[in-house]
Amino acid sequence: MRRPGIRSLAGGAAGIVAGVIGGIALTSVSAASGPTAAVPDVDAVHVPPVLTRAGEPVTLRYAIVCAPRDDGEPCDGSGSVFVRRGQSGPFQQLALRRGEDSRDGRYFVDLPREIASWPAGFSYYATLRDGGSGATITVPAGGAAAPQRSVPLRDASEVALGTHPFGRGRAPDERVVAAAWGSEARDAGLLGSRELGFVGPSSFDVAADGSVVVLDQVNARIQHWSRVGVKATTVDVSGGLADFALEPGGAMDVLEPPSRVSPAAVLRSFRSDGTLLWAQRLSDRTWAKLAVGQAGPVVQQQPSEQWLPVAEHGAALGRAAQAGHGRPGQPFANGREVVVERVGSAELRLAELVGNAVVRSWRITSATPLGEVQLAEPRGDHLVVVAKTYSDDRSEYIVLVLARSGVVDSFAVESLEWAESAPLARFRLAGSSLYRLGSTAAGLFVDRFDLEVLR
Amino acid sequence: MKAFLVAFAVGVVLAGAAGAQAYHRFWANCNYDAPTFMTTMTRDAAQDYANAARYEGYQWGGGCWNYDDSDSYPYDAPGDPSAHGEGGDCSGLTFKTWRESTDDWRDGRYYWRALRNVHGPYTAGDFRNGLGAPNHVVAKATAGVMDAFASPTHIGMVFARSLWGGDQIVEAKCEACGTNIFYRTYRSDPSYGGVARWGWTG
Repeated sequence: MRRPGIRSLAGGAAGIVAGVIGGIALTSVSAASGPTAAVPDVDAVHVPPVLTRAGEPVTLRYAIVCAPRDDGEPCDGSGSVFVRRGQSGPFQQLALRRGEDSRDGRYFVDLPREIASWPAGFSYYATLRDGGSGATITVPAGGAAAPQRSVPLRDASEVALGTHPFGRGRAPDERVVAAAWGSEARDAGLLGSRELGFVGPSSFDVAADGSVVVLDQVNARIQHWSRVGVKATTVDVSGGLADFALEPGGAMDVLEPPSRVSPAAVLRSFRSDGTLLWAQRLSDRTWAKLAVGQAGPVVQQQPSEQWLPVAEHGAALGRAAQAGHGRPGQPFANGREVVVERVGSAELRLAELVGNAVVRSWRITSATPLGEVQLAEPRGDHLVVVAKTYSDDRSEYIVLVLARSGVVDSFAVESLEWAESAPLARFRLAGSSLYRLGSTAAGLFVDRFDLEVLR
Repeated sequence: MKAFLVAFAVGVVLAGAAGAQAYHRFWANCNYDAPTFMTTMTRDAAQDYANAARYEGYQWGGGCWNYDDSDSYPYDAPGDPSAHGEGGDCSGLTFKTWRESTDDWRDGRYYWRALRNVHGPYTAGDFRNGLGAPNHVVAKATAGVMDAFASPTHIGMVFARSLWGGDQIVEAKCEACGTNIFYRTYRSDPSYGGVARWGWTG
């Protein structure tokens, strides 16, 4: 071996130094190049009173959220509500007052009785301002074009559920999907640990031919489960807790949560072969539920608390176009929409709208707290509702089949949720059957419950 | 020149493989300043504080971030406190948002700036059990804005309630999730309990 010369040694040393510096620089650039979206200078929280009772006083409350002040005090906020009687016509401006307590929103206005009790309801939007930065926000983002719409519960069917008897859940009619945890063809992907909790397939849907389609985002695939077997389609998804819906034309929509690389929520639409059709950022900050309306996918979003279309007839809508078409209810193929409002801890208000008019409504009260509404869908003369009821250490789903006269069928479903899924993606209604996504330590399953009164 | 090129390549490999510069880097920006003792603590100021931590990442055992709307180290190894990346974890974010003391017997209000590197003494399970003088357990049905839901492994704060009965939760849940606001159904999940901070002033 030849003895190295001084030039070789110097060159080698210089090379290592340059290499380390270059490597650090490259890694730093790579690490720093992350999300580019920014937290807005001002944000808002508002829970709209979408369904009101006769004579009920209405106070509109807003939280104005801004950059933290160095003195630790809340925003120096202000704003106005633009409100009108009914669902069309000019708005009148009412200034928001600043209250002492922020638990339900520090900024508020009591609606004049003549507006709050107007027979056709009222509609409104707000502009909110942070005095520190001068930034403003309109809520909902659609403003006058797509305001919050509130309608009165007129002649609502009253349903009193009483105290829920836990432990009497109905057995399913059939287990249509059963998959062990894993990554093989008939498995379901599982992510996490005992210490951090587990995430399984986050959503599912039921195709027109009755096959069950599971979003196995952990394994980056969509599985079609039918009586003849399981077919998997690879899709490029982030792996986060996403919602999922099948469109009638075969497109597969995946509603992705924010993540470390994409801090804004995105809806991705895939062809049936798994190739991407389009991806579109949502108008709002947060999403609750994905569904398919008459013209394409719609998403219930916050802070607007509206259902916003994200695409129409196969073409994605920009954020402003989404916001400009916000509606209070989930749209359905029959042209109607269903409005849901959980009030307090144990009251649920539901209404079916045609345009901005209520055609049927229900007010459900319970002696046991009511949690999230998983599903509220019309079927002929009925409305099928799945909501969770809970105590501090137990929970179950209650399934209600409602007619104008009240409850025509009801039963409980045990909540088997060992692995986490998307928040409002546990149930799907297809034909006269209800499907439920569940999990245990052994794996994932989908059960079918036949609703006899709908047959 | 050949020796330089070979050594340059070795240097690049060393820089990347050791990861020495990747680890301990973000915490080099953090400080250990004393918190500001406060007489006030409002729920909307807490919303401001937690909301501003969005996009700033997640670090297991962490509690230090800036306000550049980006996780400086989004691919740290999950569950590795020695990664020293940007962001809080779930209990660190809650501790700082709730202006708590590192002494669990103190129930005063201590304002920690974002770059102050502090996680606090509580795990998610500790919060769930109401441990520490400033904390207590509440019925889930009554949990309101900037109260929280905690399981043995996670805690998230109620940013707002929502029409369909779930909650908008501000949380630092995992390395891949970052810190953000998500719609969750912890309220009705038996593995979660309701917890709250004493001492809100508005």
